[in-house]
Amino acid sequence: MTSAPSIMMLSWEFPPRIVGGISPHVYYLSRSLAKNGAKVYVVTCDFPGAPQHETIDGVEVFRIDSYKNPSPDFATWVYLMNVNMQKEAAALVRSLDGKIDVFHAHDWLVADAGIGLKHVFRKPLLTTIHSTEIGRRNGIHYDYERMIHETEAWLTYEAWRVICCSHYMVSHVQWAFGLPQDKLVMVPNGVNVETYARTEREDLNGFRNRFALPEEKIVLFVGRLVYEKGVHVLVNAAFKVLRQVNAKFIIVGNGYMKEQLSGLVKNMGFSHKILFTGFVDDDTLRKLQTCADVCVVPSLFEPFGIVALEAMAAKSPIVVSDTGGLSEIVEHDVTGAKAYPENPDSLAWGITKVLLDEGYANWIRHNAYKKIQEQYDWHQIAQKTKRIYETVLSEYSRSFWS
Amino acid sequence: MHVIILSWEFPPRMVGQLADHVKELALQLVKNKVKTYVVTYDDFLTGEYDEPEGIKTYRVTNPVRTHIGVLTWVLTLNQEVERAAANVYYTTGKSVDMIDAHDWHFISAAVTLKKALGIPFIYSVESLEEHRSHGANSPFNMAIKSLEWLGMYEAQKLIVKSDWMRDEVFRLFKVPLEKITVVAPKSTHWMKTILGTYHDAAGGKGV
Repeated sequence: MTSAPSIMMLSWEFPPRIVGGISPHVYYLSRSLAKNGAKVYVVTCDFPGAPQHETIDGVEVFRIDSYKNPSPDFATWVYLMNVNMQKEAAALVRSLDGKIDVFHAHDWLVADAGIGLKHVFRKPLLTTIHSTEIGRRNGIHYDYERMIHETEAWLTYEAWRVICCSHYMVSHVQWAFGLPQDKLVMVPNGVNVETYARTEREDLNGFRNRFALPEEKIVLFVGRLVYEKGVHVLVNAAFKVLRQVNAKFIIVGNGYMKEQLSGLVKNMGFSHKILFTGFVDDDTLRKLQTCADVCVVPSLFEPFGIVALEAMAAKSPIVVSDTGGLSEIVEHDVTGAKAYPENPDSLAWGITKVLLDEGYANWIRHNAYKKIQEQYDWHQIAQKTKRIYETVLSEYSRSFWS
Repeated sequence: MHVIILSWEFPPRMVGQLADHVKELALQLVKNKVKTYVVTYDDFLTGEYDEPEGIKTYRVTNPVRTHIGVLTWVLTLNQEVERAAANVYYTTGKSVDMIDAHDWHFISAAVTLKKALGIPFIYSVESLEEHRSHGANSPFNMAIKSLEWLGMYEAQKLIVKSDWMRDEVFRLFKVPLEKITVVAPKSTHWMKTILGTYHDAAGGKGV
């Protein structure tokens, strides 16, 4: 490589459109790559109020019409959205005289577009697999799930390299799709410490009072309210914690389990102790993470666990279930407390320990803050990703496609 | 002139009468010295490549085996159609002049190939979802209609088989009439009109 590589990222979500963890991931990865000298184009779905084209921190963002085609169900919407994404991205690459070196697709949601662009322009495709259908559903049970599973397999088959955010995901993806080991690369997810450094816990008393009484400890959960995130385990643990500690559980996020769980909490007379806020904006979320006395990540399946990193960056102590990517991020009793997955007693023990033992809480949160600065810094992640692009491009230059 | 025909049916795979029509069209094109490539679906009746009577035929399978309906099946299959067509483009030294897409199935591949490689395409309308589904407007039908619309919008020219279909295309999609050519199959000037339309769609390239 003589000059900096030109990258086209494909992602179905990019700020201000935020569905899950892919959006912030692609945002920080793109801008960090741009800071490292790469030319980055992001092609993503549109969002009300967001412009069709803008340049953010050196990253060219293009938003495509994603609701042009009516669809009978989510998966069909995804495939139809890919028709428009592929069409717009193809026109964009052509307007750049084909000067894109690598296509980088994030998850099956943009599989068709990534694979199509690879073949029409004969350029290498990379993919980051953030999550899998077989993991999300704990197995493949219906044709709908199998179709998504096979689409994921197809994407990994077509990709030159498959990036995963944890060692756990590397082995999971290798098993799920039968990939050769040398096709997989681990690049951790990152967190931007600066976005949290601006807010100090002490300045947030007024904000805190909106959510909890001064004498109540704040226990925070952030995530989609779906089975794999284990929020039901946390609700069960909450009843146990509340016997020993005066606390307020704040559950941020939406999902199909919300009504069921909030109904349960209400019927048991705990509405004043367990609060379901729904989706909150970025600013509110950061402030909540900063003033939380403990952040809990009770997932049953977790490819990486970005919310754990965010809590660490916000200097909040964390309690996580010992599973997936979380097992790698957290060292028990050093950077957080680990609990047995799907075990409310174990989770309640961890939360209670952090809330009642101030010395312990301070010890883990200081260690955690140090660890994220050393290992989960976006600058280093971008450099590592750029080296993968360069390796692939060097292999590509010896192939008959170049 | 190099032309790629996209059709979801081609002998020996017969679904309706489109297979025979496309075969006859391809044969006539070959006779008229048009380099003709057909990209179609492989249902394992033949190998992935054969050359029946001079028609270079590429057959692709769907990389996703499990589906919830014809729509998801078609959309994923399009990627393989697109790949096969792109391979023809590159192996012929980028000398593909035009694509002729039959019916809505492979419209999305034709559109990407146009946007990416600048290859114009003709949309040959066999039938319309409006008639097939008797005016049903479920999201499923609407999705297919939106793909038909995309094809009509992006195509250089439309070829239909009857005046009635021309009027229906105009009524339903408001396609300008001068964009539509009526060619009744096997009529006297059938091939002449087709070659003329190809010539126009390919930007005046010689046939």
